[in-house]
Amino acid sequence: MRDPYEVLGVSRSASDSEIKSAYRELAKKYHPDNYVNNPLADLASEKMKEINEAYDTITKARSGQSSGNSGSSQGGYQNSYQSYHGYSGGSGVYAQIRSYINANQLDAAESLLNTAPDRDAEWYYLKGVIAYRRGWLDEARQNYQTACAMMPGNYEYQTALRTVQGGYSPYRQSNYQSSDMDAACDICNALLCLNCLLGSRRGC
Amino acid sequence: MFGYVRPRCDKLTQAELDAYQAAYCGLCRTLGKQYGFPTRFLVNYDMTFLWMLQASLRKTEQTTRCRCPARVCGSMQCFRDSEGYENAAACTVILCWEKLRDDVRDESFFRGLPSRLLSHVFRRAYRKAARRLPDFAALTANQLEALRKLETENCASIDAVSDAFARIVSGCATESSDPAVRRPMEELLYQTGRFLYLADALDDLKKDCQRKRYNPLRFRFSPEDGKLAQEDLDYLTQLTDSSVNLAGSALALLPLRSFGSLMENVIYLGLPSVFEAVKAGKFQSRARIRFSSGRERKAGGRHARREK
Repeated sequence: MRDPYEVLGVSRSASDSEIKSAYRELAKKYHPDNYVNNPLADLASEKMKEINEAYDTITKARSGQSSGNSGSSQGGYQNSYQSYHGYSGGSGVYAQIRSYINANQLDAAESLLNTAPDRDAEWYYLKGVIAYRRGWLDEARQNYQTACAMMPGNYEYQTALRTVQGGYSPYRQSNYQSSDMDAACDICNALLCLNCLLGSRRGC
Repeated sequence: MFGYVRPRCDKLTQAELDAYQAAYCGLCRTLGKQYGFPTRFLVNYDMTFLWMLQASLRKTEQTTRCRCPARVCGSMQCFRDSEGYENAAACTVILCWEKLRDDVRDESFFRGLPSRLLSHVFRRAYRKAARRLPDFAALTANQLEALRKLETENCASIDAVSDAFARIVSGCATESSDPAVRRPMEELLYQTGRFLYLADALDDLKKDCQRKRYNPLRFRFSPEDGKLAQEDLDYLTQLTDSSVNLAGSALALLPLRSFGSLMENVIYLGLPSVFEAVKAGKFQSRARIRFSSGRERKAGGRHARREK
């Protein structure tokens, strides 16, 4: 196992509150909410587990040294994570498809989905999840929208739809200053000439 | 196609800007050393990003000084990282050569003439690069073939066409075989490639409509006079935003050891601002990032970025 301090990115001399805030920051970053239907969800959950274990180890070690610190706060994220892990069941075929999706076997999931008898909201939702995992976001969104329209009020479908509506990104800033891009040439003109030829013509 | 993936310079620190410049110059230097002087002109921001992304998995590289042919006198700082640079340089040569060949196929004889001549200039370089990365060269050729097929069918699925292109970009992840690194890397590059394709399609929409050439947005949204309705534009923005978010969530899973904030800048700030500029019709893919030279900094008078 890796050094727990290294996992949380803090020094060994860090105070308890520093460790806690580092833990919170990381837990926020890798929280399963950020990886809903994401093809890398399994890696994120491993990371989350590693962070939880590291925090657990540190708090336990420290509470051993200095009495009074129970270090019981770690469970929170882990528990909330567990409830997201994997999909909840569903009727026969759909449960099978969901388990294929969780195992990243998208082709198998899709061919099974295509044989499913009726096209209900769940069908469109799963179709959307498969497309989303492949990175086919336009198709994913169309299917999510159909699923939401067929069964409004389903939390799972709505959450999925939000992930393809761009949504909130903490670093996003919309004011774009074109002055960054002013053609302030500091590489010789020949380069620009050649670039004209290579140019921005469409193609590959 | 090139020039869309770049950092937002006004949010970089001076040290990050210097590192970016050194990465750019290092790629240029490797191209010159490996594939001959003419290939130095192929250096671009997108491939600089590619190198930095893969180099960020290692400890910070050592820098050295190299002579810059674009400057009459003086030298530039650049990273020395032979293995990584050689792969990035090979990718650059392969992609550029394929693009030139693509232009030759697309254009009429006279319009295609410059590309034809240039592709002859770079032919030997391409062969050498393809020997270095045979898998990537084959992948690029196959995917471009698939892309051309979709284009002749006037494919209306922007997912299908951008998938063909994004697979090429994700194929640029030539290093590291550990799946815990490779998967996020490929996902990040895939989404970046998707973004690139869509941004490029939007940028060329007007021209393509006038010249009646294939553009996926023409068939997906049916624009009027080469312009998308506001509603469609918003939809497209949400799609590219989702790509940016997915790329960001993949970036978070990479064990970065250097250039971390620079990579975040490119994904979270660079890509969205480029898309905004494309939407406003203000994007210039040939616009240069202004790196400050050592002399200017010593004089202390001028700043790296233009202030307006």
